Amino acid sequence: MEPNALVDYVKSLDCIHCGLCLRTCPTYQLTGVESSSPRGRIYLMRAVAENKLEASDPHYREELDYCLVCRHCESVCPAGVRFGEMMETARAGAAKAAPRGALERFARWVGFQVVLPSRFWLSLSISALRFAQRTGLLRLAAKFAGARKEALLSMPAAPPASERRSLPERTPARGAQRGEVALLEGCVMPELFGRVNRASAAVLADIGYACRTARGHVCCGALHAHNGELEGARELARTTIASYERLGDAPIVVNSAGCGAHMKAYGTLLEDDPAWRERAKRFSKRVVDFSEFVAANAPADWRPHAAPGLGKLTYDDPCHLCHGQQIRSQPRELLARVSGAERVELANAESCCGSAGIYSLLRPGDSQAVFEPKARAFAASGADTLVTANPGCHLQWESGLARLGVKARVVHIAEVLAPSDPDSARANVR
Amino acid sequence: MTPGVDAALLAQLRAVTGEAGLISDPTRLLSYECDGLALLQQRPACVVLPRTTDECARAVALLHRAGVPIVGRGAGTGLSGGATPVEGGAIVGLARMREILALDVENRTARVQAGLVNVDLSFAAEQHGLFYAPDPSSQHACTIGGNIGENSGGPHCFKYGSTNRHVLGLTIVRHDGSVLDLSRVQLDPLGYDLLGLFVGSEGMFGIATEIVVQLMPIQPVVETVLAIFKDLDGACDSVSDVIAAGHEPVALEILDRLTIEAVEASIFAAGYPKDAEAVLLIECEGSEAEVASSLDEILAVVRRRGAIDVRRARNAHERKKLWAGRKGAFGAMGRIAPDLYVADVVVPRTKLRELVLGTTRIAHERGLKLSNVFHAGDGNLHPNISYDRRNPDEVRRVLEAGDEIMELVVKAGGSLTGEHGVGLEKQAAMTQVFDEPSLRTMCAVRDAWDPQRRMNPGKLIPVHACREMRGALRPKA
Ligand SMILES: Cc1cc2nc3c(=O)[nH]c(=O)nc-3n(C[C@H](O)[C@H](O)[C@H](O)COP(=O)(O)OP(=O)(O)OC[C@H]3O[C@@H](n4cnc5c(N)ncnc54)[C@H](O)[C@@H]3O)c2cc1C
Ligand code: SF4
Ligand code: SF4
Repeated sequence: MEPNALVDYVKSLDCIHCGLCLRTCPTYQLTGVESSSPRGRIYLMRAVAENKLEASDPHYREELDYCLVCRHCESVCPAGVRFGEMMETARAGAAKAAPRGALERFARWVGFQVVLPSRFWLSLSISALRFAQRTGLLRLAAKFAGARKEALLSMPAAPPASERRSLPERTPARGAQRGEVALLEGCVMPELFGRVNRASAAVLADIGYACRTARGHVCCGALHAHNGELEGARELARTTIASYERLGDAPIVVNSAGCGAHMKAYGTLLEDDPAWRERAKRFSKRVVDFSEFVAANAPADWRPHAAPGLGKLTYDDPCHLCHGQQIRSQPRELLARVSGAERVELANAESCCGSAGIYSLLRPGDSQAVFEPKARAFAASGADTLVTANPGCHLQWESGLARLGVKARVVHIAEVLAPSDPDSARANVR
Repeated sequence: MTPGVDAALLAQLRAVTGEAGLISDPTRLLSYECDGLALLQQRPACVVLPRTTDECARAVALLHRAGVPIVGRGAGTGLSGGATPVEGGAIVGLARMREILALDVENRTARVQAGLVNVDLSFAAEQHGLFYAPDPSSQHACTIGGNIGENSGGPHCFKYGSTNRHVLGLTIVRHDGSVLDLSRVQLDPLGYDLLGLFVGSEGMFGIATEIVVQLMPIQPVVETVLAIFKDLDGACDSVSDVIAAGHEPVALEILDRLTIEAVEASIFAAGYPKDAEAVLLIECEGSEAEVASSLDEILAVVRRRGAIDVRRARNAHERKKLWAGRKGAFGAMGRIAPDLYVADVVVPRTKLRELVLGTTRIAHERGLKLSNVFHAGDGNLHPNISYDRRNPDEVRRVLEAGDEIMELVVKAGGSLTGEHGVGLEKQAAMTQVFDEPSLRTMCAVRDAWDPQRRMNPGKLIPVHACREMRGALRPKA
């Protein structure tokens, strides 16, 4: 195979081998091994392009898989290396060069092609998970799961069906309407974090924005792209664009950092598709993160009240917000507006928590190793509640802190800002 | 026994460092082929990553017995090929040795493992009102051990001095795995200054595993100012004048237009005006009165030399931003071309202006793009040449220009390296600066530390020179 089809050679040339990215890379931090660093990974990608290394090489592949695609390296790279995009191409290339085993292929097919894009299958899977968790079936299964045992047991607690409602098609503004937005409900969000979606809509309503959802839309394809399933990702991008074009040209507010970062990059994903290129660019311009939107559009005198029982707050930057979208100050500004809440800074808030999309399921041991320093930083901060802005991180913090026996609450920033309605109040005192 | 890395040796090394501390597969070894000087590459035979002095000593002893050459490596950010592997050799990497072992606030010292990243020491000291003064632009990546290898400097070394002024003690694993303990801090050293010899020895005298350094108190007032010029000469002349007038700013840094453009296009955009021909970054610190008076005088000089605007950082955030731009400058040049050749020469400060012009001319004559960013206070120039290593002719012209720049500087009374070391890159040029007796003395010192010459062989001292020396030393028949 033409090596240049396996990696993005042109982008790899941006790297000048300065090493400034080493210290912030979680996998280099853990191992001290240079091939597990951004610079090392890029070096190996270049070697593939220059025909010095096979893309099917198992060590190469392992270094690609070991990467969390947290993109911390992008935030510190003076040469502007676009590591996330390079990684997507390299992973797709490695899969082309050496197809995965039959079982893994089947599992990926089920996950990426069947479950994620379908509300029906997603809903069914989460129901089944809840059933297994409540009946003890999961514990039993874990006994036979070998290396995957930890992964099974650390699966998030599936909420009851009553919490897994979708949003209404339109949530009106409270008081005088100042505008209208579309809100991405997401694939796993309604299933696991229905309350976060409702809190988000409530905040938007509270600051005067009516909020619509795209009926029938399920998945934006971010998880596909990060894992090198680029064709699946493109297909879902087209569906997503079409779904939201039907809602006019209102801003598309996204409360999941990973989805937002990905949707803002549709323009690049569909660059080579002449029929969609322009539509994708137009779409990406509409995408705005939840905190980004609220910080920019809330009335100057808007002061949300802290929900009861949250205590001292600390905010952990989701990678795909700070490194993926350069959004750092807005969530902090918003939390500072909350009356009655004390906020402290978390050390190394910009380093990855180890969730990284489905990484925590694929590589539970590594994911936990990446999480441990985060838990230590949280304990040192003295906070009672961890605030995040991404469902993957949310799950990781909940299960990680529980595993380490740390008592704390984990909430999405929308839940802190939402006017106390029964739903989010219940969530807050869980 | 023939020297070499074989399965038996690998198994013994693995027993010392554990599975995770030994790399011997060709794929992962690839990523160790070069350091920050990507021009020269050599795949090592294995990489050993010890966690303690003891592990390091045992691993080095094994390698020594097997006759395997050893190259020490910190973060591999060196720019002269100091950490480039040698054929058939092992890398001893310090990347898993990054603990702060003790922080003595009262005596203002810290004892650290050699793989600690420079900036992590300052972060840890900050809460005690202290900092570690040598601040290479690579400080977010490079290790204290690597800083010792190269005797590294940074913008603030104009006032505080380079690494050698801040090292108080060392624990060294020698070429044969024996441990030399020079870590008992002596304020008035007796005997030969072994510490002084070791700092800047580019990994040829052994591997430093633990380091005692001195920390400095953070000054009450720090002022950072950016002076903007319509021509590079004005910036250079300002520096000469400021120093001649006896002022002591902490740092004086110049960036030229090409560098400014690159920085402003990068994540380190610091708000440097893009239409300026040069900016001069000045930092003063001390008591409020000291800073106020010296800054006033410095600004008067700068204005006289044609600064069209002067901007003062209003708070810590703005100051950090101005510095981030300066420190990100090398990396940001990556935007101009795929590769960057970073030269590192020291010139007499009175000749700053003419030598800056000279370096630019040398590059232009060869159709190369050269930008300049420099620690002007120290006369330490970094002429940077952008190139594309896939173009062999361009690579040849770059190397040629590099040599000619060194020649020019040496002729003007300057030196080959300010802070990046000699390594592989400037080895050949050593003969231009040092006469035979000096080189011969260096060889002898090296032989005292490492008689078999297996620690980072082929670096710093021109090999043929050393061999010739040998010949010269033999009594004539
Ligand atoms: C973007 C950028 C900016 C830079 N800016 C500066 C600057 O402002 N000032 C400056 O001085 N340098 C600068 N450098 C060069 C480089 O960062 C320094 O030389 C740094 O000290 C190297 O540290 P390292 O840990 O990467 O060492 P390495 O590159 O790994 O090694 C450097 C040398 O030290 C030896 N060595 C490493 N560890 C040890 C040890 N424990 N014991 C004994 N020997 C050892 C190695 O064998 C090698 O010869 C810059 C480099 C880059 C890429
Ligand atoms: S910081 Fe950027 S340019 Fe430097 S080594 Fe890392 S990826 Fe390459
Ligand atoms: S994306 Fe994250 S894990 Fe991957 S190389 Fe960059 S910093 Fe390391």
